[in-house]
Amino acid sequence: MTQPRYLRSARITAAGLAVGALLLTGCAATVNKSGTSSSTSDNTNAMLTIPREDMSTFDRNFNPFAPAVNPMVNQAIYEPLLVFNPAKGDTTPWLATEWKTAADGKSITFTLRDGVKWSDGKPLVADDVAYTFELQKKLKGGYEYLVGATAEGTNKVTFTFNKPWSPALYEVGQLPILPKHIWSAIADPAKDANATPVGTGPYTEVDSFQAQSYALKKNPNYWQPEKQKIAGIKMLAMSGNDAANLASVNGDVDWSTQFIPNIEKTFISKDKEHRHYWFPPTGAMINWQLNTTKAPFNDPKVRKALSMAVDRDQVTKIGMSGYAQPADCTGLSGNYEKWKNPAVKDNCSWTKLNVDEANKVLDEAGYPKGADGKRTLKDGMPFEFKISVGASSSDWLSVANVISQNLQAVGVTAKVDSPDWASVVAGYEQGTFDSGIVWSANDPSPFKYFNNAMGSATVKPVGTKTFDNYHRFGDPKADALLQDFVAAGDEAKQKDVAYKLQEEYNDAAPLVPLFSGPEWGDYTDVHFTGWPSQDNPYATLSDRSPTTVLILTTLEPRK
Amino acid sequence: MEETVRFILRRLGFYLIAFWASITLNFLLPRFMPGDPVSRMFARTQGKMQPEQIDALRKLLGVDDRPLWEQYIDYLHNIVTGNMGISISRFPAPVTEVIAAQIGWTLLLGGTALVIAAVVGNLLGILAAWRRGGAIDSALPPVLIFIGSFPYFWLAMGALYLFGVILGWSPLRHAFTDGLEPAFTWEFIGDVGAHLVLPALTIVLVSIGGWMLGMRNTMIATNSEDYITMAEAKGLRPGRIMFRYAARNAMLPSVTSFGMSLGFVVGGAMLTEVVFAYPGVGYQLLNAVQGLDYPLMQGLFLTITAAVLLANFLVDILYVRLDPRVRSN
Repeated sequence: MTQPRYLRSARITAAGLAVGALLLTGCAATVNKSGTSSSTSDNTNAMLTIPREDMSTFDRNFNPFAPAVNPMVNQAIYEPLLVFNPAKGDTTPWLATEWKTAADGKSITFTLRDGVKWSDGKPLVADDVAYTFELQKKLKGGYEYLVGATAEGTNKVTFTFNKPWSPALYEVGQLPILPKHIWSAIADPAKDANATPVGTGPYTEVDSFQAQSYALKKNPNYWQPEKQKIAGIKMLAMSGNDAANLASVNGDVDWSTQFIPNIEKTFISKDKEHRHYWFPPTGAMINWQLNTTKAPFNDPKVRKALSMAVDRDQVTKIGMSGYAQPADCTGLSGNYEKWKNPAVKDNCSWTKLNVDEANKVLDEAGYPKGADGKRTLKDGMPFEFKISVGASSSDWLSVANVISQNLQAVGVTAKVDSPDWASVVAGYEQGTFDSGIVWSANDPSPFKYFNNAMGSATVKPVGTKTFDNYHRFGDPKADALLQDFVAAGDEAKQKDVAYKLQEEYNDAAPLVPLFSGPEWGDYTDVHFTGWPSQDNPYATLSDRSPTTVLILTTLEPRK
Repeated sequence: MEETVRFILRRLGFYLIAFWASITLNFLLPRFMPGDPVSRMFARTQGKMQPEQIDALRKLLGVDDRPLWEQYIDYLHNIVTGNMGISISRFPAPVTEVIAAQIGWTLLLGGTALVIAAVVGNLLGILAAWRRGGAIDSALPPVLIFIGSFPYFWLAMGALYLFGVILGWSPLRHAFTDGLEPAFTWEFIGDVGAHLVLPALTIVLVSIGGWMLGMRNTMIATNSEDYITMAEAKGLRPGRIMFRYAARNAMLPSVTSFGMSLGFVVGGAMLTEVVFAYPGVGYQLLNAVQGLDYPLMQGLFLTITAAVLLANFLVDILYVRLDPRVRSN
């Protein structure tokens, strides 16, 4: 008689399982713990290991025009003409050695550095720069003020504008430059994977590319070979903060920039000697935006009173784990420290907690408190509104909750509304929201911040989509100043105008600034030394901003 | 035999209608979500993108402004021809490539865990019911149900912390060691195996209790049937009665669950993949939904739908073989 069929298959399965289990356990024992050993001799060959918390896998796509660019493409492979460092407020000439703005403010001429070569050995020429901007405008748009970039000889490029436009220096200067001889031969540059990139950066050679990790090794033709002290960079794909935090805490990576809760205890305390963090307040200003097309938010007194009711110390301590710095009434984040008007900054009133004053202002402005301690609007309706924040941003959600609690003290009811970010942003864009916690522009120059906060040109009617100035506030006085700002040729004049803009901002309170977003960054110096810090702020600890290349060319293996 | 064919044809018709309904929902649901992919992307960069670039990006990504019905016709046509479009969040990679590159890992993880959990769970259920009140029957169910009721990610993180961080027995992340080249060598296969143990183990631990209890309960009912008593009276070997007579008849609900679970393997291991940074499609799906990446979302949901329907169809066919009553219904 034949053996029962199910028994036979059960036996095969069992045997398979046994083999599998043997295989698994046997190999589990031989797997070495990931991470590199810290013996001194190894450090010269060690790779600078960095996790990427927002990508679970990588594509072999090093195209800088991709909507989601691979890590380090614009940091280690391609380089800009200049690098602005928000931590110190200084500018480092990079592929350009000097630049000059024309007297009428309608053009800038950059002089390129001598002896810069692409990683394939060809020299960098002015034509490359001109071509990069041509391509950028064609594929991605933007730079509407830019008429064109023309090469003069091999080492000079002139950018001409259709109007005086002073913020152009940094916008043009920080765009990574591409080689014309490679890109002009690509049929569809927007969709090309650029699998083997050619750049001027310090680490251009893609090595051992896998779906969850890849390495970048030294550019053999780098223009400052003495600064390529580390062997290379290794990127690791992580699916989310938790996985990345585990890698950081376990010491498997050298440098990371994702949010780590309670960093002193979870990260630093594991190795106090080698682990450090630095969160300079150079991120964007995070604002509480009130929709000024709706009453009572169209009343500047109300905006200021609500702002005074907010306890920013509590907001940053509870909402942001103490990592952020409370805002002042210039509205500018720590990124714009050198632009701040001391006369405004030192005399702030409406960005400081003052419940009595807030109550007084609201009483006087005609929003009486009823017997139940709750205020009503001018039309007799209860003073109630929503604060909209995306559900996935747990930190901002607690910020909104703190504000909501604070407002109870002045008799105002704010309900925290937290659907998915998609519907929150749709409300912002259409102008149907009441209020929300919103980021802001973070450029080297404060023009965009003020333009988005109170420039009439950025105001769109409710129902028409907008991508800035969600709160829809325009101010003719600010418009004139903004005009002066873009026309101002040198930085001293710009600063002068920026001072006046801050006075206007302080007057009008277009937004309720909450805190300067911190630029996250932590590292361990077990393998590499030379990191930026509070005492040596040559860059922030960001691993995805223009200053990153400064760190890559400063770090050296620990001896 | 003719009845069998008719039964299968009838089921096939049902599945075709179910498939059409699900692909239509699959088309409509993402489009009911507020916003569009480009403004999501813009909001995500939080001001680092110039507003003037939005139009160019919209054009580049091919975001559709055409009427819904035109998009729907295109969509149906694309499904039939297997053209799923280009992923927006992973632009310019085609959706089929994104899914193909990652689904293998999900199938490996989910499939391994499902097979182990189902086989071991059912065997334990059979044994527990056969020796009611014995050691297995009294000790295991409460323990397994206890473990199974933990929030899944909590168990996964706990296991990762204990076995990965503290004891150092297992790797902490990824499907294989960084820098290793995928190849059919013992070294690579072993490495993949080692990376698979912990994620698979946590899924097995959570799901095995359900399999065991389900099998045990049906098996107890079957054990009191007359034909079991008859078999015992005839003096058949207990092992033969247990498997051929009792278990075979108690197996049907388990086969149904197995079919259902097979379909959910594709989407079910998302949390595991996130905790262990496993390169499957789970995290990709989460990203696609958050970024309103319609093409990728459609591709992934379509894969999941197809997997569920296909698994159910296979179970239906299997039923014809296992349960003669189905054929006459």
